[in-house]
Amino acid sequence: MTTFAERPTVAAPRQGVQKTSWGTQFVKTITSTDHKRIGYLYLATSFFWFLVGGLLALFLRAELTRPGMQFLSNEQYNQIFTMHGTIMLLLFSTSLFIGFANVIMPLQIGAADVAFPRLNMLSYWLYFFGSIQTVAGFLAPGGAASFGWTAYAPLSSSTYSPGIGADLWIMGLAISGLGTILGAVNFITTIFTMRAPGMTMFRMSIFSWNVLLTSILVLLAFPPLAAALLGLESDRLFGSHIFDPANGGAMLWQHLFWFFGHPEVYILALPFFGIATEILPVFSRKPIFGYKGLIAATIAISALSVAVWAHHMFASGQVLLPFFSFMTFLIGVPTGVKFFNWIGTMWRGQVTFESPMLFVMGFLVTFLFGGITGIILASPPLDFAVSASYFVVAHFHYVLFGTVVFAMFAGFYFWWPKFTGRMLNERLAKVHFWTLFFGFHLTFLIQHWLGIKGFPRRYADYLATDGFTEMNMISTVGSALLALSMIPFFINVWITRKSPMVNTDDPWGYGASLEWATSCPPPRHNFTSMPRIRSERPAFDLHYPHIKTEGHN
Amino acid sequence: MKANWQLFGGLAVFYAIMAVIYYYVGGEAVGITGMILAACLAGMVGFYVWFTQKRIGFDIPSDDLNAEIADDAGELGFYSPHSWWPLPVAVSATALGLGLIIGWWLVMIALGALVLSIIGFVTEYEKPLPEESHAN
Repeated sequence: MTTFAERPTVAAPRQGVQKTSWGTQFVKTITSTDHKRIGYLYLATSFFWFLVGGLLALFLRAELTRPGMQFLSNEQYNQIFTMHGTIMLLLFSTSLFIGFANVIMPLQIGAADVAFPRLNMLSYWLYFFGSIQTVAGFLAPGGAASFGWTAYAPLSSSTYSPGIGADLWIMGLAISGLGTILGAVNFITTIFTMRAPGMTMFRMSIFSWNVLLTSILVLLAFPPLAAALLGLESDRLFGSHIFDPANGGAMLWQHLFWFFGHPEVYILALPFFGIATEILPVFSRKPIFGYKGLIAATIAISALSVAVWAHHMFASGQVLLPFFSFMTFLIGVPTGVKFFNWIGTMWRGQVTFESPMLFVMGFLVTFLFGGITGIILASPPLDFAVSASYFVVAHFHYVLFGTVVFAMFAGFYFWWPKFTGRMLNERLAKVHFWTLFFGFHLTFLIQHWLGIKGFPRRYADYLATDGFTEMNMISTVGSALLALSMIPFFINVWITRKSPMVNTDDPWGYGASLEWATSCPPPRHNFTSMPRIRSERPAFDLHYPHIKTEGHN
Repeated sequence: MKANWQLFGGLAVFYAIMAVIYYYVGGEAVGITGMILAACLAGMVGFYVWFTQKRIGFDIPSDDLNAEIADDAGELGFYSPHSWWPLPVAVSATALGLGLIIGWWLVMIALGALVLSIIGFVTEYEKPLPEESHAN
């Protein structure tokens, strides 16, 4: 007698296609514990803040087009540049990292979810309400905070910055910072405990490694920020004298703020380096060049980044110039190693320029410029000459826009089929890229010379006789082009919303990490089946079993 | 595998060394304190991971170079399907922050709401499941 068992069917129910009412969708979203859905919430919310911050930047550029005050008062200008900086750094970029990490990292390590799904949602809500509270100052009497995103003491004291807007800014950032810390705890625990069998630490994708190291930096950097913010608020509310200049409070604030602020730069950079590192091998048809070298460079950057903070304070005259200058030059080395590896990955590869690769090229070019001016600024004599001028503004926009925005769009175009199951339109993506690229460089390249000529940052106005007018006009035209480049992206998202599903795990054809071994979009707990993991390219090994990946152990 | 705790341990040692160097070249108090605390934090996490690894006594399948996917078979753990609790916790935490600015009355309300919602969050799955839900 023969017995037989039925063969299991592996037709996984696809998420998101069943028709549900808006109300059900809404409740499902606000009570979700699915890391992908929470990740999309993070991505959407931070992109919203990107648009708000960008709009504020356009106000600044419009005001600076011509000498004389165009349409803003000095106080409004101060509020706008403060909120532009705060929104872009803390409400957009930081949470964009958490968004990408949430969606992609558990897929890449082969986990079903993050370690603490409800904590994940709590992080999101803290960020959501904290960010609204930060920006709510615009509606408050007296307006939003206007002391710059660095909130230097004693300018941020209740004497020089009265008004509820500053308090809202401080408490909002403390609350959204709490969400960021909880998110980092979640990611570290997930990576340590929830990797798939065989997915050892040194088989993890570079993006996941960078998420791990970024999360460690969050744990090191955000508590000092929280301490500084709560101390400042206690000064303002209860009259304590923590940041009173009479007992050295001005320097205390700067040290605490930049002890957070410099690692924060790497918190913004590392995950986006990770995105670029994911994309380059796929469109070069080659494995990553120097996988372990890249990880070592990232570890070196995270280690060194807590010992360079005072290079933001060279001009204060109260920091150890040789120490911080040396450390800052030193941190350029692992960054150079990364560039070496990125170029090595492309070298003699079959490079094709689909939109994600194009944006990565934009990232490489832009970030390289920012890195070079960073080396210039690491030298105190040169820093003294251009400190607090538009040279510095140009420098950090090259660094941060180069990494965050270019790599963000690279990630969007790359993982859009993984998010939605649909490809974005390539032609519109190319229009988007070139307008963004030229818009950005037109806006910011000229600001290097503007700074060298002596235009100070954070000034609302200049004289016609200063000779800044032409350069400012070019910069403003560039910023308009930069803003318009968002339109092709929105059109793209809109017209492809009903395009055919890709119906394959790996639409780019050469995906290496594990997210390309599950369906687009992935099911609720990510995998219906998982390939055996024997190298750092499990999806590639699955799809091309005849090519053996050089195993890293 | 050792990479987990070595990463944190290495960072702790590095930050400690940097703190000593910074002290000897004449650094100020905030930076020295900051780097010592950074070393302590990294050391604490590293110690905990090392300790846990030692207590488990063997490599978990994630750290086994030759593991099969089936090695991890079985119950993966409990995952909350959805939860209302994060929302009230975050709302009351934000209200607490807002209350400090606009008035103590809101602090009192928010503090109560925060305590209640944290209790709700923590004990959401603490109660024994009703019998009928075991059936499926």
